[in-house]
Amino acid sequence: MAFTPVFHSEWIKIRTLRSQVAALATIVLLTTLFSALAASDTGGDDFDPLFAVFFGVAFGQIAAIAFGTTAVSSEFQGGALRVSLAAVPHRGRWFAAKATAIAVPVFAVGLVTGVVTLAVGKAVLGAEADGLGWAEQVRGVVGCAVYLTLMALLAAGLTAVLRSGVATLSIVIPFLLIVSFVVGDASSDLADLLPDRAGQVALHETWDGAMGPWTGLGVTALWTAAALAAGAWSVRRRDA
Amino acid sequence: MTSIDVRDLTKEYGTRRAVDHVTFDVRPGKVTGFLGPNGAGKSTTMRLVLGLDRPTSGTATIGGRPYAALTEPLRHVGALLDAQAAHGSRTARDHLRALAASNRIPAARVDAVLAESGLASVARHRVKTYSLGMRQRLGIAGALLGDPEVVLLDEPSNGLDPEGIVWIRELLRRLAAEGRTVLVSSHLMNETASFADHLVVLGRGRLLADTPMRDFIDARVQPHVRIRTTDAGALKSTLAEHGLDAVEQEEGHWTVAHARVEEIGTLLSAAGVPILELTFTEGTLEQAYLDLTATETEFTAPHQEA
Repeated sequence: MAFTPVFHSEWIKIRTLRSQVAALATIVLLTTLFSALAASDTGGDDFDPLFAVFFGVAFGQIAAIAFGTTAVSSEFQGGALRVSLAAVPHRGRWFAAKATAIAVPVFAVGLVTGVVTLAVGKAVLGAEADGLGWAEQVRGVVGCAVYLTLMALLAAGLTAVLRSGVATLSIVIPFLLIVSFVVGDASSDLADLLPDRAGQVALHETWDGAMGPWTGLGVTALWTAAALAAGAWSVRRRDA
Repeated sequence: MTSIDVRDLTKEYGTRRAVDHVTFDVRPGKVTGFLGPNGAGKSTTMRLVLGLDRPTSGTATIGGRPYAALTEPLRHVGALLDAQAAHGSRTARDHLRALAASNRIPAARVDAVLAESGLASVARHRVKTYSLGMRQRLGIAGALLGDPEVVLLDEPSNGLDPEGIVWIRELLRRLAAEGRTVLVSSHLMNETASFADHLVVLGRGRLLADTPMRDFIDARVQPHVRIRTTDAGALKSTLAEHGLDAVEQEEGHWTVAHARVEEIGTLLSAAGVPILELTFTEGTLEQAYLDLTATETEFTAPHQEA
């Protein structure tokens, strides 16, 4: 079986669910809203104009994670996976198509999110944003899209392992909102390797850790690759 | 023509053996009824045939190939396993479109099977607004999508209204008449009797019978002639003269095995024996099935998984 028809099928599944389309729209809304709020507060010594503009990504990623999670968890309801795998017995190919159908829209929406949040954030910042160069702005927009895509795929892989959207979200969301903040404040070198902290380096104008923006996204990509590999292994090995 | 060949198939879940060294074939051109109580292993066997579960040992092939080796399998094999499989928030049409796209089945087939299943008018409604019977019809539409030569349906009559039951019966008969291979599981005897040509019976994972339906019934329930009369003595002696043995039943009627109404009616009429009732009674699938279950420990064992 070729990959394209399977991808087409998975893409139809995503765009015909209102909740999935709503989750994509929520990425843009949440990110822009929280970026605008953050940009209105320019106090503090560690003020970073680029991160002020992309601050909302920390919230928009929750919608991206919800998107990746539900795209996979819907297969574990009512025997849907059996229908999918009866149509596509090549399970590895099926899972690759599912991941691609998640990645493509999140990346596209991530680019839109980056452009919108940049425009809104700069408007709110006013003169404070004057120091931002073109290269940094482009890096921020692309980094935002790549980061959101990697987080959605991370959640998708995890959901395939746990076979439950509730289980995935109850691990990932508290992790991002609590663990990462707490551990992050300790600011050890290990905490910098957490998937969200590593990836978000790309959203800063300056950074002090060893990792630059692209190495940071590379670290996040490793986490995502591990989650997807575990998910693919689970889909291939277990009875449907 | 494509048949389903199950060879020494075994599936264990932990220590429980759901399917236990089962061997049978499902041939094209007829409807094979797949019988057994809940937990007998019917659904597990179907999942094994479809390559969804991995067998502990043995093989299940379709046209000599394992399911996973089929390219675009929906064009060869259609299955209904679970009526709840379609996402409630998607419309029936979108559900089938996604399924069709994966196997490059033309979109026209989607509308064709929706019409065939009687769902055309609600095709753009979300599945969560559907009754169980409508979901069942959608599942069957999905099974027919690729115009497959092999059809497997797990309890397709579940939740169907009387009209739906008639529809599924005629559909199954037609699919078989077109030369397709049709395997239909059920635990409803009268329902199965109305469409099956052949039977495969499982009990606690083991194969109990694999025979034509008529043979299955005739081997277990003898066809007989049922007679009621006001003169039992004359009846008995008249029949005895012709070598026929009338047996009195508890309800007060008499039965004669291996006889025809034409023969007995003529005899009794000539002898002037008063007759109140004279009917030919064939065994039913239900009687034969219950006879089987009474003799097989697989059914009477105290521990019965649901």
